Amino acid sequence: MSGSGVSGYAAVNARVRAMYSGRLTAEVWAGLNGAADVKTLIGLLKNSVYGRYLNAVEEKSLSPRRTVFQIENRVADAYAAIVHWVPVHARAFMAQLYRRFEVDNLKAVLRGVATGVSWNRVQFVLFPFGPSTVLPAEKMMESGSVRSAVDKLRGTPYYDTLNHAMERYRAEQNLFPLEVALDLDYWRILWSAVHQLPTRDRMPSIRIAGSMMDVNNLLWAIRYKVYYRLSEEEIINYTLPFGYRVRDEDIRGIAAGADISQTVMRIYPEVTDVEALLEEPRSGLPQLEVLLTRHVAKQCRAAFSGDPFHLGVPLAFILLSEMETQDLTVLIEAKAMGTPAAGFQPYLLMSGGSPDAALS
Amino acid sequence: MFLPKEMTEIELVVPDQDLLAVANVLAGQGVFHQVDAANASPEVIPGSASSWQEQTTAYAALERQLQATVRLLGVEEGSAPPPGQSPMVEIEAVRPLVEHMAREVREVNDLLEADRKRLEQLNGYLRQLEPVAGIPLDISALQKSRYIFSILGVIPVVNLERLKTSLARIPFVVLPLRQDRQHAVVWLAGTRQNADTLKRAARSAYLNPLNLPDVQEGTPSEIIRSLHVAIGRAQEHLGAQEAAIVQLRRTREEELQVLLWRTRASRMLSEAMARFGRLRYTYLIVGWVPTGKWAALSERLRQASKNILVQAHSGARSTAGENVPVSLGHRGVLRPFQQLVTMFARPRYNELDPTFLMALTFPLLFGAMFGDVGHGLELALLGVLLSSRKVRALRGLAGLGGLITVCGVAGCLFGFLYGSVFGLDTILPALWIRPIDNILEILYISVGAGIVLLSAGFLLNIYNAGLTRDWPRLFLDRNGVTGLVLYWSLLGLAAASLIAGFPVPPAVFAVSAALSGLAVMFSEVLKRLTDGRRPLVEGGLGTYAIQTVFEMFDTLIAMLSNSLSYVRVGAFAVAHAGLSSVFFILAVLISPGHGAGYWIMVLIGNLFIVGFEGLIVGIQTMRLEYYEFFSKFFLGGGMPYSPLTLRPKVEE
Repeated sequence: MSGSGVSGYAAVNARVRAMYSGRLTAEVWAGLNGAADVKTLIGLLKNSVYGRYLNAVEEKSLSPRRTVFQIENRVADAYAAIVHWVPVHARAFMAQLYRRFEVDNLKAVLRGVATGVSWNRVQFVLFPFGPSTVLPAEKMMESGSVRSAVDKLRGTPYYDTLNHAMERYRAEQNLFPLEVALDLDYWRILWSAVHQLPTRDRMPSIRIAGSMMDVNNLLWAIRYKVYYRLSEEEIINYTLPFGYRVRDEDIRGIAAGADISQTVMRIYPEVTDVEALLEEPRSGLPQLEVLLTRHVAKQCRAAFSGDPFHLGVPLAFILLSEMETQDLTVLIEAKAMGTPAAGFQPYLLMSGGSPDAALS
Repeated sequence: MFLPKEMTEIELVVPDQDLLAVANVLAGQGVFHQVDAANASPEVIPGSASSWQEQTTAYAALERQLQATVRLLGVEEGSAPPPGQSPMVEIEAVRPLVEHMAREVREVNDLLEADRKRLEQLNGYLRQLEPVAGIPLDISALQKSRYIFSILGVIPVVNLERLKTSLARIPFVVLPLRQDRQHAVVWLAGTRQNADTLKRAARSAYLNPLNLPDVQEGTPSEIIRSLHVAIGRAQEHLGAQEAAIVQLRRTREEELQVLLWRTRASRMLSEAMARFGRLRYTYLIVGWVPTGKWAALSERLRQASKNILVQAHSGARSTAGENVPVSLGHRGVLRPFQQLVTMFARPRYNELDPTFLMALTFPLLFGAMFGDVGHGLELALLGVLLSSRKVRALRGLAGLGGLITVCGVAGCLFGFLYGSVFGLDTILPALWIRPIDNILEILYISVGAGIVLLSAGFLLNIYNAGLTRDWPRLFLDRNGVTGLVLYWSLLGLAAASLIAGFPVPPAVFAVSAALSGLAVMFSEVLKRLTDGRRPLVEGGLGTYAIQTVFEMFDTLIAMLSNSLSYVRVGAFAVAHAGLSSVFFILAVLISPGHGAGYWIMVLIGNLFIVGFEGLIVGIQTMRLEYYEFFSKFFLGGGMPYSPLTLRPKVEE
């Protein structure tokens, strides 16, 4: 498939909409929300589109962590399919978007190496990225040190970034500089890939991927300021100077000590109660993240109306699928820990058990 | 030749004391396909395999340690010992030696690695200092300046702008001294009172300061001079370590290789023994052997164990299940065609092995589409070149060499029949037909040949069904007797309607087609009836009727499209001649006087035809074989024959 516009996206659009119709319905969500325990929840999921992933392993192996791992396979499959379906010019961007999970896997492996846990414990914490991964995760885990693990990445896109940042790891013995370097590198490449797209695909992609980047960038700045109390120059260096709504001036303002609530409300007028949330940052920031992610979800849903022949539709679908999995993860963990509904519902991207209710 | 090799199922009951000898014989002969005996008899003691599994784990660990040592020492793994010379090694007896060698090699290797790192570090300093070599300042003095705080270091290029942004509130200078695609060597300076801000900004922008622990004093050029001296010393030291490794390699190589292979053989043998079934005082061994090899193996087994109990029975094809391993084992010219067949599917034990048919029809179809003496010869030579493995870059394609050679020869032979040499039809007389001058005729012949092949496909399916005594498939399948009658009736009907004076009236074929068509339509119901079961009509009669009508429609369309699919054989034969002449026309247009341009164009055309057209014709031939021909009779899904051996396995 090499065309763009109608010819390039007609088939993709039809396939994506068919897959989109497979998302969990409000009734299923209501059932999942009301499940008495994690076993009941898994039973319900087995009757859904996630069934084939959960039935692939024995019942007794389905720990909460393993269940999450299995359902994440659906997102991996969706990415693999969409990267293949989209026109050639959009593949690099979609592949880079998917690499987000690989970056997360890499961070998890490095944490595993640094803390000395076994591969068996890390294996199912990783996202099931599939055969296209460049990470020799198991070999890295077996390497015994962060330096050796990074050396195992020679020849991959991550090596240069990590190798340079290793100087700081060596001095500080802390994974923070490695993780920040990986994140910044990832988002810079993604932003560059967005700008390589033809105009027709670039605009919706900037709107959706840029919104996602905004959430990250803004939350980084806030966390660096509030949690880590980093200096202005550090916050600037650890954040990105671009985005969709969030401008560099906003980030620099937060770094310089501007009122964070005012800044957030100026950028997202539709998000209320920011001041109240930031009064207690430990619990407030995760909730702010949920609110801002819901905003991204809204952008995704908007892509399904209007002209359908652009990259926005598959992009929106894949991000909504990720969010569905994210919510299922919250539900599984909450049910496993016996958390009451009031404790986990604020962290769901869909409120009241219906995805449509929250995402519209 | 036409069926997979006949197999014999064997069950051996071996006394404890003879187990190792028997296992050695089984593995040494390399003909025994092992089956897990755990479920072969109720008398097998559950969990009895665990001690062998533990042994396997221990051998595997030892093997890994040896492999690591072999790799560190840069020694080849060597080749497997000759059959019969792989007795089990005693783990506890060899472990101290293995550990000693591992330690010995690791120590020298660690020293070597440390020297390499040191050398790399010194060269790194050198590279970092080269851009500032011309600065007549003492770097350490610069760093000790009273009023100026500065950092000389390396920063990722993408962070440079952000670093400047982060320092917007204070006075500073960032001077890039050297820059490549990813990194820049920069000198960052500001007032000493802003030193903390500068440090934080530099650190968070990943500006790694130049680190010169050994040779900090002096100007860059002085440091560079002392670095060169240090590099010389490090190289000498490295040379000494490398000599030590070479010496160690010389003394340990053979010993390591023998130990590695013996440990590997022991691991594989204990892996096999873990799948033997433990009875009370004996072991049960179950598996398959090609019938032709059984007599020799049986004799060796009896030599190894006087008290062995042997039970062997030949795998009857009519009743054989899917658990009988399938050994094809074709050699020579048939080998590449076997690969083509197994790429589609491995034949079952009780069905025809289509390798020979493939070897016959594939070159025939390919040659008919690619008929040209010159191009065929080129292709054949390419095949010979690939098979010879003389060109390193083409070694990966050596497996295709035989196939390409045969196809090239077939193309060459058809070239004589078509009278075509490099697309020119003026050099040779056509022994049979010139496709470009007889387009309709060649197309008719192609379809005719397709009909013959498809009919052969029906007959082969009937034969396969007969082999397994699958009577419903034989008589009622759409590719069985009724399907063949329907196909031939339709062909007869078309011939009788179109050819004046055809000896049989169309009505005869129409009646025959209708009857066989009805049989195909209701084949499912009839199959159930022949099985003595009630006919099952799913979803009511209406739905069933609609379904059978559509299935019938699908059958008719498939028969038509499969037959017409062979038109491509003639079409490609015509296209080949046309395409060749196009390149000659282009060559004349480029250079009417037959100068260099003419010959360059002819060469490009040749490469295009041999490479691109050859590939397309190959794909089309494969398509005709797989989808039109094989789909008629070939089920596949056989279990690969994988004999137990202590030597590296060669894929069938």
